[in-house]
Amino acid sequence: MDIFLQALASAMTPMAIASIGLGALIGLIFGSIPGLTFTVALALALPITFSMDPVPAIGLLLGTYIGGMTGGSVSAILLGIPGTPSAAATVLDGHPMTKQGNASIALGTAVIVSVFGGIFSLIVMIVSVDLVSRVAISFGPAEIFALVLFGLSTICGLCGGSLIKGLISGALGLMIMTVGLDTIDGVQRMTFGSVNMMQGVNLLVAMIGLFAVPFIIEAFAVKTSMPEKSQRISRVKAELPSIGLLGRNLWLMIKCSIMGTGIGAIPGTGGAIASFLAYDHAKRFSKKPETFGKGNIEGVVAPETANNAVTGGTLIPLLSLGIPGDPATAIVLAGLMIHGITPGPALFMNHAGEVYGMYVAVVLAYLWVLGLQLVGIRLFVHVLKIPRELLAVGVLVLCAIGAFSIRNSVFDIYSMGAIGVAAYVLVSFRVPITPIILGMVLGPTLENEFRTAMMLSMGDPEIFYSSPTVLVFFSLALLVIGLQAVSEFKAKKQPKNEVKADA
Amino acid sequence: MTKIKTLRRATTGLLAAAAMSFAGTAQAEFPDRPIEMTILFGGTANSIAQLLTDLMSQEMSQPIVPVSRTGGGGAVGYSYVVNTPADGYNIVWNSNSINTGNHMGRIDFNYEAFTPIARVSTEIPALAVNASTGWEDLSDMVEAVQASGDVLRVGISGRGSFTHLTSAALFDALGIGEQVAYIAYGDGRAPVELLAERIDAAIQWPGQFASYVEAGELNVLAVTGDTRVNVLPDVATAMEQGYDVNISMWRGLAAPAGTPDDVVAALQAAAEAAVMSDTFQEASDNIGFTPAFLPAAEFGALIAEDDAFYGALLTELGMAQ
Repeated sequence: MDIFLQALASAMTPMAIASIGLGALIGLIFGSIPGLTFTVALALALPITFSMDPVPAIGLLLGTYIGGMTGGSVSAILLGIPGTPSAAATVLDGHPMTKQGNASIALGTAVIVSVFGGIFSLIVMIVSVDLVSRVAISFGPAEIFALVLFGLSTICGLCGGSLIKGLISGALGLMIMTVGLDTIDGVQRMTFGSVNMMQGVNLLVAMIGLFAVPFIIEAFAVKTSMPEKSQRISRVKAELPSIGLLGRNLWLMIKCSIMGTGIGAIPGTGGAIASFLAYDHAKRFSKKPETFGKGNIEGVVAPETANNAVTGGTLIPLLSLGIPGDPATAIVLAGLMIHGITPGPALFMNHAGEVYGMYVAVVLAYLWVLGLQLVGIRLFVHVLKIPRELLAVGVLVLCAIGAFSIRNSVFDIYSMGAIGVAAYVLVSFRVPITPIILGMVLGPTLENEFRTAMMLSMGDPEIFYSSPTVLVFFSLALLVIGLQAVSEFKAKKQPKNEVKADA
Repeated sequence: MTKIKTLRRATTGLLAAAAMSFAGTAQAEFPDRPIEMTILFGGTANSIAQLLTDLMSQEMSQPIVPVSRTGGGGAVGYSYVVNTPADGYNIVWNSNSINTGNHMGRIDFNYEAFTPIARVSTEIPALAVNASTGWEDLSDMVEAVQASGDVLRVGISGRGSFTHLTSAALFDALGIGEQVAYIAYGDGRAPVELLAERIDAAIQWPGQFASYVEAGELNVLAVTGDTRVNVLPDVATAMEQGYDVNISMWRGLAAPAGTPDDVVAALQAAAEAAVMSDTFQEASDNIGFTPAFLPAAEFGALIAEDDAFYGALLTELGMAQ
């Protein structure tokens, strides 16, 4: 208890509170502006922390991380361009809500459930870090492969009308990620002798291209009729979600928090897979699954709760095992190391004070995020008043800057453009874009874990059916695919007959 | 253009004069604008580089700006810097990857395309096993492996990675190279895999193992350099244990070949002052590296020597191109 009070004292200093708030603000700004990503914000914040005391320093980084994770939903909802890969699932229902004039409700819900998910996962982390990290250790390459495969099966739920088009899109995502230097064998793949191709396609660059470029092209290609536009402006209001709305979704929020925390705790997965699984789960168990993709609030609640629950979850392997779950937490790890806080099993013996200080910092960061976002929504919604063409120009500039800043590579700007134009073509053929992101996020993990598992077993596939965990995830994946196939078959039966009659 | 240049010269003159009155090391001519340091990797490499640029900037009249150009195992960053003018305004935070990158066919130029400036740090790999094996040093492991005749599963970051090359050299020296199967993870998950006993041994950086050693869950059998490491002072080197292996990862600074000597000397002086500073020495224990300044000439000799070594090793592993 003494240590806790001491930690509370060190985290409650004006300096610490201010640096956490600053971090949250930076994260929110970078997370919510399309093109700019909070991984870049973290990289910029890292050198600032060198000269700070440990708790404010870590607070600044955690604040940026949490602010960014939450901010990603803002542009996903308002513009349909996710600020982070974790917010890609939020676009599906969040953006339609904006089109219906309910942007502020979607934004308000997103931030409130994010804070709920984040605090929930922090509590889980505090009470069960030891237990959960032991479970996480039992996740070897085969288990992670199975989990990721299960994650990929959610493509079924994202296809909209056609399963085939969804699969095409998912496979494209998987293929894009094979370009570059293969990390396992160290060989070049599909680089055509070009040094720039060797760095591969960056996930964030591709994401900017996939969502932002079609937005920009559409803004200029489609001459929106004036009445519709003015209608939209008049509908912009800053209304927050009611308590009743949140109350109705409490059970969903709890389920998605558990999902997010659990997935976050497994090294090498992360926010995107959690938010897609949560979205798929919400849709499958919803009373009105047909309204998903058309602005169902549950489609915002589920992924946003889950991707913030991941923040607490990823702290478990980060602190207890020293394994960062994604590039963002890798930077947090660097910040910890520089201040002499080496994560691992001995961390809780040597640095209990700092660890408790971090817990308090996470809570403070969420309070900051809640406050900043609820005030910010009133400002954010005014973005919708900007004429689409002007907005598109702004987005274009920001995206070019964003794509460049990730790796300081001009080539990435071209990649963004090329991927974006391809995405626009796909969109015009009604091929869904979201499965590409899912394929890209999960592709490298899927491939590497499979290969590592096969190396471990010396080429014996037995490793994939000897572990109960693996079998559970395989069955879940099969179940999802089976259910989808059945419902697709049922839905197709009727129209198919009609087509036949036509022909 | 000329106007800008004159203006720049004028400001530089002022700045340089101001700088010279504070520190005698700064040169009047160089640098007259910020210097860009290309960083090739994330993680430890990035952490050290951020700190180094911060400290070197305090020594020079102009800031040194760290710019991350990662990817392709360093190929992207090296290729960028090698094509910049040889005037010292573009330097690269290099490592053994210049040798391995060339021999593995990722870059079509070798270390001779760069002028060495100074070695800054070394990182010494360590070999760890699960504590339940009961192995305390290298000979324990060698005897157990030879007696059982089983294959030893060794975790590495990826084929051709530094951990792979170090493992290959070490297990050859131990005489059990034939009984080793390498498991590539593509990232630093080795400690967890050791803990779960999915692999039998792994070579990674001492900092990754330190916490587990303290908790009594892993044993570190040896470090592969010629000196012990601060984070694990009780662990003997492989050479102390009678095995002829001396591999460590060095990091340093280089500029495109043909950079003038006085420019190199100015950068070398700034690097030396940064490495010798208390801040750098303190940070080294936290991040897990050893400050190891070496001036340009000796650094160059080391790179050339390493190049032959890694060339031969990669050829032996069938990975040379």
